[in-house]
Amino acid sequence: MSLDSTDIVEPTFRLRSQRRRLANTFFRNRTAILGLILTIIILLVAFFADDWFVALPQGKTPTPLLAPYDPLLQDARNRLSAPDDDHLMGLDSYGRDIWSRIVFGARVSLMVGVSSVAIGGTLGVIMGLLAGYLGGAVENTIMRVVDVLMAFPSLIMGLMVLAVLGSGIFNMILAIGIVLSPTFARVAHSATLSVKSNEFVEAARSIGASRIRIIRVHLFPNILGDMVVLASIWTATAIRVEANLSFIGLGVSPPTPAWGSMIRDGTSHLFDAPWESLYPGMAILITVLAFNLLGDGLRDILDPKLQQ
Amino acid sequence: MLKYLATRLALTIPTFLAVLTLVFFVVRVIPGDPATAALGDYASQEAVTALRERMGLNDPLYIQYFRFLADLARGDLGKSMITGKSISEMVRQVLPYTLELTLSAIFVGALLGVPLGIYTARNSNTTIDYIGRITSLAGLSVPAFYLGILIMLLFAIKLKLLPAVGGGDLNDFKSNITHLALPALTLGLIMTASVTRLTRSAMLNVLKEDYVRTARAKGLPERAVVFRHALRAALVPIVSIIGIWAANLIADSVLTETVFARPGLGKMLVGAIMQRDYTALQSVMVIYTGFVVVINLITDLVYSLVDPRITH
Amino acid sequence: MKRIIVLITLLVAVLIISACAQPTPKVVEKEVVVTQIVKETVIVEGTPQVVEKQVEVTKIVQEVVTATPVPKEPVVLRYADKAADLGTMDPHFAAATNDRNLVDMIFNALVRYKPGDGTQFEPDLAESIPVPEIVNGKQVWTFRLRHGIMCHPSDAVPSYELTADDVVFSLNKSATADTSAYAGEYSGMSVDKVDDYTVKVTMEQPISPVLFLPKVADYAGGFIICQKPYEAMGAEEFKTHPVGTGPFMFDSYSPQEKVVLKANDSYFRGRPLLDAVEYRFMPELNSRELGLRSGELDVINGAAEGQWVKRMNQEDGIRVDVYGVGEVATIHFNLTRPPLDDVRVRQAIAYALDRDEFLALFGAPVAANVYSQVPAQFLAGGLTKKEVDDLGLEYALNIDKAKQLLADAGYADGFSLEMVSSERESYLKNYQSMQAQLAKVGIKIKINTVDHSSMHKLIREDVNPIVIYVAWRPNADVYLTRFYHSDSIVVTGAKPDTNFSHYTGIDDLIEEARVELDPDKQIDLWKQAQIKLLTEMISYPLQYQNQVTARWDYVDYGHVLKSALALYPQITENTRIVK
Repeated sequence: MSLDSTDIVEPTFRLRSQRRRLANTFFRNRTAILGLILTIIILLVAFFADDWFVALPQGKTPTPLLAPYDPLLQDARNRLSAPDDDHLMGLDSYGRDIWSRIVFGARVSLMVGVSSVAIGGTLGVIMGLLAGYLGGAVENTIMRVVDVLMAFPSLIMGLMVLAVLGSGIFNMILAIGIVLSPTFARVAHSATLSVKSNEFVEAARSIGASRIRIIRVHLFPNILGDMVVLASIWTATAIRVEANLSFIGLGVSPPTPAWGSMIRDGTSHLFDAPWESLYPGMAILITVLAFNLLGDGLRDILDPKLQQ
Repeated sequence: MLKYLATRLALTIPTFLAVLTLVFFVVRVIPGDPATAALGDYASQEAVTALRERMGLNDPLYIQYFRFLADLARGDLGKSMITGKSISEMVRQVLPYTLELTLSAIFVGALLGVPLGIYTARNSNTTIDYIGRITSLAGLSVPAFYLGILIMLLFAIKLKLLPAVGGGDLNDFKSNITHLALPALTLGLIMTASVTRLTRSAMLNVLKEDYVRTARAKGLPERAVVFRHALRAALVPIVSIIGIWAANLIADSVLTETVFARPGLGKMLVGAIMQRDYTALQSVMVIYTGFVVVINLITDLVYSLVDPRITH
Repeated sequence: MKRIIVLITLLVAVLIISACAQPTPKVVEKEVVVTQIVKETVIVEGTPQVVEKQVEVTKIVQEVVTATPVPKEPVVLRYADKAADLGTMDPHFAAATNDRNLVDMIFNALVRYKPGDGTQFEPDLAESIPVPEIVNGKQVWTFRLRHGIMCHPSDAVPSYELTADDVVFSLNKSATADTSAYAGEYSGMSVDKVDDYTVKVTMEQPISPVLFLPKVADYAGGFIICQKPYEAMGAEEFKTHPVGTGPFMFDSYSPQEKVVLKANDSYFRGRPLLDAVEYRFMPELNSRELGLRSGELDVINGAAEGQWVKRMNQEDGIRVDVYGVGEVATIHFNLTRPPLDDVRVRQAIAYALDRDEFLALFGAPVAANVYSQVPAQFLAGGLTKKEVDDLGLEYALNIDKAKQLLADAGYADGFSLEMVSSERESYLKNYQSMQAQLAKVGIKIKINTVDHSSMHKLIREDVNPIVIYVAWRPNADVYLTRFYHSDSIVVTGAKPDTNFSHYTGIDDLIEEARVELDPDKQIDLWKQAQIKLLTEMISYPLQYQNQVTARWDYVDYGHVLKSALALYPQITENTRIVK
C-alpha cells in the first residue's frame, strides 16, 4: 500500500514525479478537462460582467461588459416578455434583462456556493475525522454537537445567525456553511471509521506514527474522495438555499441579482413566463456540472489508491 | 453494545437541551410576536396588549423558559398560540403524512440510487457512466419544487393517472397511496441523485482495494466480488448519506409538501416560524430533534452491522 | 446487474400503476345547465367593444330513474386558498383573509353587506335596518330580530334559537379587548336586550349610518356568535369549533390541509344548495392552478397578475373573477426623518414617481390607480382622478420638476435611505419599483427584505423613513384615523397604530367628520382632510389591488360578484354546482 512507498521515497523526487503523474492523470481525463474549461468560463463571466476593475479604481460607476444591459434596469411595461433578439432570455417580472442578471448573479451565487461548501466541508471534515479517529469521549462530544446542528433546518439556522450576527452576505454564507457541516461530519465520520480499521493504519500506528500524521497522511487522503463528491453534491443546494435566506433578510437584498432568488421569483410565473426561472436554473445546472466534473477529476488524482 | 446504547441515550438529554434552549431564545429575538401575528394589522393596540398578556409573553424570559421545560418534562407539548389547538394532537394528525413520505422517498432513493451508483462505478468513464452522472447532476440542480410541478404535469394533467394535490385520506388506503405516489417520486428522485454520486465514489474507492483484486484473482464470479466484497465495504458512507437524507427529509421537505399541498412536519415548522407560534415551533423542534437523534443512532448501529470491523 | 435494474424499474412501475386506478364517476343528472358564450358589441366610453357574455340556459331533461335508486353523491365545493393554515374561526379575531372567508360562511350579523356587493347594506339577522332616534342626546338603534334563527348544533350544545341574549353577548364580546381584536371600534357603544327579539344599541355620540352600520355588519366585530356553545367550550376551543347561524356549519379541521363545512339544514334563508364546502390550504399558486385544471378543485385563489388572469381565462371551462374590495397600497413619508421633513423633498418624490409604472407590475385588471388616501372606487369620501387633477394634486410624473424641487431643498445630488420591506409580492413589487424610479433622481434606496411578521413589527417601531402599506379599511374614518390621526402615531401616539408619517394636521377634520350626521357634509370634510394630506404630500396613494379567483364555469356563486369585504367570492346558500 501507500505506506511504504511514500515513506521511503526521497521527498523532492517524489514530489516532482508525483506532480507530473497527477497532471497526466488529470489531463487524460476528458470530462475533468471539460469541467475545468467550464469552470474557467463561468469564473470569467462573473469577473467580466462589468468593467469594475477599470471603473472602480477611477471612482466611476462600472458599466456592463459581458452583460448587455444594466441588471437593475426595469422596464415594467414589458415585464415577463418572452426571449427575443434584444433579450436573449427574456425579461423578468420587473422587466429586467434575465441574461444580464444571470451574468451578474454569477458573482453572488458562485461566492455563496463555493464558500459555504468550503466552510461546511472544512468544519464537517475536521469534526468527522477527529471523532472517527479519536473515538471515546471526544467522539461522543463532537457527534452530539453534530446532532444538535443537524436538528436545525436551514431556515432556523438562518434566523439564528441573523439574530446573533445580523444580516449580510458573509453571515449568510456562514449560516449555509453551518447547515451543511453536519452532513460532511457524518459522512467523514463513517468513512473514517471504515478506513481506520484497515491494516495500513494499524501498521502506521505500530511503527509509532503520530496521531496528526496518521490523520493527515492515512485517513484524510482516503476519505477526501467522498468529501469532494459530497461538496459537489451540496453546491447546488447552497446556491438555492440563498433564496430562502434572502427572503428572511439574511444575505443579498433586492435588487441585487442572485440565481437562487431569481428562481424563487420566477416560480410565481412558472406557466406565464417559464424563462424567468428556467434560465437561472440552467445556470446552476451548468455550474454544478462544471464543479462536479472538475471534482471527479480531482478526486481521481487525490485518491491515494488510484495513484498506484 | 448495551453500554454504548446507554451512553448514547444518556447523551440525548444534553442534545435536546441545547437545541431547545437555542430555539427558545432565537425565536424570541427575531422581530414580531405571536400576538401581533395572530391578530393581524387591523387589530387595536389594546387587543394586542391583552393577548400578549394572556399568552404569557409579558412574563420574564427565564420564567417562560422554565415553564416550557417543566411542561415538556411532564410530556405536555402545550397548545398552539395561534389556533389554540393541542400541539400533540396536531402532530398526531400531521406526522403520519411526514413518515409515509419520508419512508417511501428513502425507499425510492435507495432503491434507484445504490444500484445506479454501483453500475456507473463498474462502468466508470464509459458513455453510460457519463449519461448516468450528468442525469444525476441534473437531479441535484433541479429544485424539488420544479421537479414536483413537472411530475404533476405529467402524471396528473397529461396522463391523468394520479391526483395532483392533497394528502389523501389516511384511513383510505387507495386514496392515501395515490396521493403519496407523486411526492414520494419527486423526493425519491432528488435523493437518488446524491445517493448515486456517493455510491459511485465509494465503490470506486473499494474496487481498487487489494482484497477486491485478490478476490478477483481467486477467480470468484464478478457478481460475488462486487456484492459480497466490494459493496459491503462501500456501504458505510452510503448508509450515512441515507441516514442524513432521512433526517433532512423529515423537516426539509417543505417545498415538496407545499407543492403537493400535503400536511407535514416541515410545513408545520415553517408555518410556526412565520406565525411566530413559539410553542408550536418549540414543540415541533422537540419532535424533530428526537428523530435526528434516533436516526443517527440507528445509522451508527448499522455501520457495525455492515462493516464488522467497526465496533462501538 | 442489468437484470436487477430492470427488475427494480419494473417493480416501481407496477407499484405506481397499481396505485393509479381511478374510481369511475357516478353521474346522475336531471337538470342540464348549458353555459353559452354570446359575443355582443357594447359601446364603452364611446368606443365599440366586443364583450363576451355568459348566458346560462337551463334544460330540464326527463330521465327514467333506474329501479334501484343510486344514492346521491354529496355536492361539495372544493375551494383552495393561498393561506398555509388556519388562524382562528372566532370571527372577532379573524384577521387573515382565509379566516375572514370561513367566518363569512359560518356566521351572520344584524345587517350584512349584500353578497357580491360590498357597497350596499341589507338586513341579516335583523328584520330591517332601523332608523336611529335621539334619546337624551344619545343615538339609539333598535334592531328587531327575525324569528326562528337556529344556532348550529355542536358537541357542546344542541341547536337552539338565537335570541337577543346571544346578540348582546356577542357585541359585548366584540367590545372587550380580551375577547376581540376590534374592541377599539366599540367604545362609546352599549347594547341592551329589550325582549327576546329586540336589541337596543346606544351610541354615546350620534354618528352617521356610514360609520355605524359597519360595526354591526358581517365584517370583523359585527359577527354574531352563539353564546351557549361559546361559554360551554371556552374561547380557545371556539377558535377551531365555531358555532354560528350561517348557511354552513363547522364539520372538521385538518391542520395545514383543510376545513370542512357542511350545509346548515335549518338555515333561515333556506337550505344551501351545496352539501358541503371543503376549504383547502394551498399556499403554492402553481399547485392550486394544477389542482383546478386537473378537476380536483372547483374554485381557487388566483394570482394578482394581469397575465395570469388573461391566460387562465383562455383555458377551456375556466373563468377568472376579478373583484373588490381592493387593498390600497400607499407610500407614507416619515416626517421626522430628514430630508423627508422638507415638503419639497416629499413633493419631489411624488413627481418622480409614476403610478402607471407601479401598476404595470400588477397589470390590469388586477390593480388600478388611486389618487387619494381613501379609495374613491369603493368608499364614500375618496377623491377621483378628475378631482385631484382639478386641484392640481395628481402629482403626475415630472422628472424635471422633481429635480428642481430637490435642488431647491438642497439635495440636487439626491440622498440615501434604508428601509425594510415584507417578502410578499404586493409589498416587494412596490418597494422595488419605487427604488428603481427614485434612482433616476439620485435618491438611493436600500431595501432589506424581511418576513411579513417582522416587517409589521419593525415599521411599527418606526424604523422606516418610507413605509409602503397595503391595507383595506371599511370606511374613510378608519382610513384617516388609523393612518393620519395624531393619536395613531407609531410608538409615541396616545394609541400607537399606523400613523407612520407622524402627521398631526387633520385631527380636527377627522373628529368633525366622525360626528357629522349629514352624509354630504361628512364626505366634504373627509375630502378636505385628504386635500391637506396631498398638498403637504404626507403620503402618496398608489393603487388598489383587487381579489382574483378562478373557478370552473359550472360553479355559480348565486350572486353577481362586484366586491366582497370578506375578500373571497362569497359562498352562500345560493351557491351551486351546475354540471
